[in-house]
Amino acid sequence: MKSILTASLLALTAAGAVSAQDLPQASSQWYTDGQDLLASMLEKQDNTGRALNVILFVADGNGVASNYMSRLWAGQQAGGLGDDHVQPHEAFPELALVKTYNINAQTPDSAPTAGAMNTGVKQRFNLINLGEDAIHGDCATEAGNELTLFSEMMTEAGKSVGAVTTARLTHATPAAVYAKTANRNWEDSVPEECTDSRDIATQMIDAMKAGTLDIALGGGARYFVPEGTETPNGGKGHRPDGVNLIEEAKAEGIQYAADKAQLAALDLSQPVLGMWTDSHASYEADRPETEPSLADMVETAISKLSMNENGFYLEVEAGRVDHANHGTNAKRAMIDGKAFADAIALADEMTDDADTLIIVTADHEHAIAMNGYCGRGTPIDGLCYDVAKEGIMHSDELVTAADGKPYTVVGYLNGASSVLMEQADGTYAAPDGRPELTQEEAQDIDYTQQVLIPASSESHSGVDVALYAKGPWAHLFDGTVEQNYIFHVMNHAVNAE
Amino acid sequence: MLISRRSLLAAGLAAPMLSSRALAAPETLKLRDLYEKGGSFSDLARASEGQRLTIEGFMAPPLVAEAPFFVLTKMPMATCPFCEPGIEWPDTILPVYTRRTVEVIPFNVPILARGVLEMGEYTDPETGFWSVIRLREATYERD
Repeated sequence: MKSILTASLLALTAAGAVSAQDLPQASSQWYTDGQDLLASMLEKQDNTGRALNVILFVADGNGVASNYMSRLWAGQQAGGLGDDHVQPHEAFPELALVKTYNINAQTPDSAPTAGAMNTGVKQRFNLINLGEDAIHGDCATEAGNELTLFSEMMTEAGKSVGAVTTARLTHATPAAVYAKTANRNWEDSVPEECTDSRDIATQMIDAMKAGTLDIALGGGARYFVPEGTETPNGGKGHRPDGVNLIEEAKAEGIQYAADKAQLAALDLSQPVLGMWTDSHASYEADRPETEPSLADMVETAISKLSMNENGFYLEVEAGRVDHANHGTNAKRAMIDGKAFADAIALADEMTDDADTLIIVTADHEHAIAMNGYCGRGTPIDGLCYDVAKEGIMHSDELVTAADGKPYTVVGYLNGASSVLMEQADGTYAAPDGRPELTQEEAQDIDYTQQVLIPASSESHSGVDVALYAKGPWAHLFDGTVEQNYIFHVMNHAVNAE
Repeated sequence: MLISRRSLLAAGLAAPMLSSRALAAPETLKLRDLYEKGGSFSDLARASEGQRLTIEGFMAPPLVAEAPFFVLTKMPMATCPFCEPGIEWPDTILPVYTRRTVEVIPFNVPILARGVLEMGEYTDPETGFWSVIRLREATYERD
C-alpha cells in the first residue's frame, strides 16, 4: 500500500506544476484559496527582532471548542455561514496547542494556569504564583515560595505593565500579573492568623504604588472598599479590615475612574485604576453604555502604556467566557468571545508587528462539546438542522435524537441545567425524558443548554487550548507545548539580541 | 411499534404543557423584563409595582426548610451565591413570598411564579435575606 502511494506521488511530482492545472478540481475556489495560502506561507519570514511590547490575551475558559463557537457566532452575525469566518487571531501566522494541567490537577484551575504564563513554571491548584512546595490555604507556606513575576521583570527592564479584565481585578487571571497567594479566594482578606500575608486587593494597590503595575481596568470595586462604605459604583464595600484602598490609591496620585466617561477624562500620564462594577464587569450582552467594553479598556491601556518608550507588558483577560460556560449559557459565552476578538483586532491595529509580540490563548477549556450532524449555516446558538443533499445551506429539517426531540449544537457534559431532575427521594432521574425545545427557546439569551451530569456549576476540562501568535519570536510557538513555556517565549522575545 | 408508542407518549406529554403555556403566555414575564442594562429597574417594573404578575424561572434550593419563601432564578442555579446581605443586587434572581409553605421543586425544572410585585429594600427577619424587589402573596406551578 505504501509503495503504491509513493509511486503515485512520484508520478504526480514528476509531472510537475503543469499537471496541477489540469486537475479537475483546479478551478474550484477551494483549490485556488489553498494555493493562495500556500503561496503566502512560502513567503513567511520569522521575526527575530527584539520585542518592545508583549500583549498576552487570555479568554478564560476559551478552549478550542469555545473558540469554535465564537467563530461561528461572529461569522453568522456578519451574515455568513459562520464556519468559514476568520477571527482576528486565527489569521495570526503562528499556532501551538497548549497543555494546561496544574502540578496536582489533571483538570486545571484559572489561578495556577495564569500563574504559569506569568512565571514560567507550573503551579498548584488554587494558588497564585507560589512555588511547588506551597500548600493551598496555608499562608505559612507563602514565605520562601514566592516566585518572580514577568511584570516585575518587565518593570526592572524599564517597561510599563497593565492588567485588563472583564472579571474582578482580584480574580485569578489578572491577579497572576501582580499577586502571590496561597489561596485565590483571599481577594479582600486573609485568615486572622496570617499576619504576614496580604489579601489580593492590597497586593494590587501595593503593586501600583510600587510602580510594578501602571494600569488596571476591570470590575471588583467592593474588595477595595470597607464594609459599611459605599463604593464609587453605588454599591456596598466588602473589606472587613476597614481600609479604603481606592482612597489610598487616589492619595498616591493614582487616577481613578468608575465608568466610561470618567475613564475618557483621565490623565494617562499617571497610573490608572478603573473599576466599573462592584463584582465582575458585565457580560457583553448585558453591558450598559456607561461601562467600557473590553476593546475600550484595551484601547485606553495601550494608549497609556505606549507612552513609555521602553515598551510594555499588557495582560488582557476576557473573563466572562468562563462564567457563561460555567452557567451552561452558551450564548453569553459566544457573545463575550466576539467581544474578545474585537479587542484583539483593535490591539493589532494599534501596535506594530515588527516590535510587538501578541499572544492569544486561553487558560483552560470547559466540559463543552458540539453535537452533529448539522448542515452549513445552522445557527450556532440554536438547534441542529440537517445536512441538505443539494446546495450548501442546511435543510429545513431539525435533526432529532433517538427520543424524537431536537437538540442544540452546543452541549455541555455537566452543569446546573442537567436533564436529570432531583426526585422526592433524592435520586436524579428524567421520567419524562429530555425537555421539549423550540428554536425560539434555544436561542433565548438566558437559555441554558441541556447537559447530562447534574452539578452546581459546569466544570473546566483538561483538554488542550490553542495559542495564536504574531510579532517578534512568535514562531517559537509551534507544536504541543506546556503552558509555562509561554513565559519563556515572552522573556526571550523582550531580551533577544 | 416503538416509534408509535414514543409518539403517543410525546403527544400526551406535550398537550398539558402547551395548554399551560397558552394560558400563561399573554401575561408571563421574564426576570430580565424587570431590569435595564446596568441593573436599574425597568419602566415596566416601576409601572407594575403593586400589581399581580406572572414570571417564569426556576426555584433555587430553599434557604430554609418549611418556609413560605423561595428564590426565583432566571437560569437553573443549584446554589444561591448572591443570597447574602450586603452584596450588590443581582438581576438574575427574584425573592418570592408565597401564600403557603413552599413545596420544593427541583432547581432545574421551569416554573411560573405569580404574585404582587413589591419594590424597596427589605431584610427578611426570619432568613436575613435582603432584597430590593420581590413578589408577595405568590403562588407557583411547574411551567
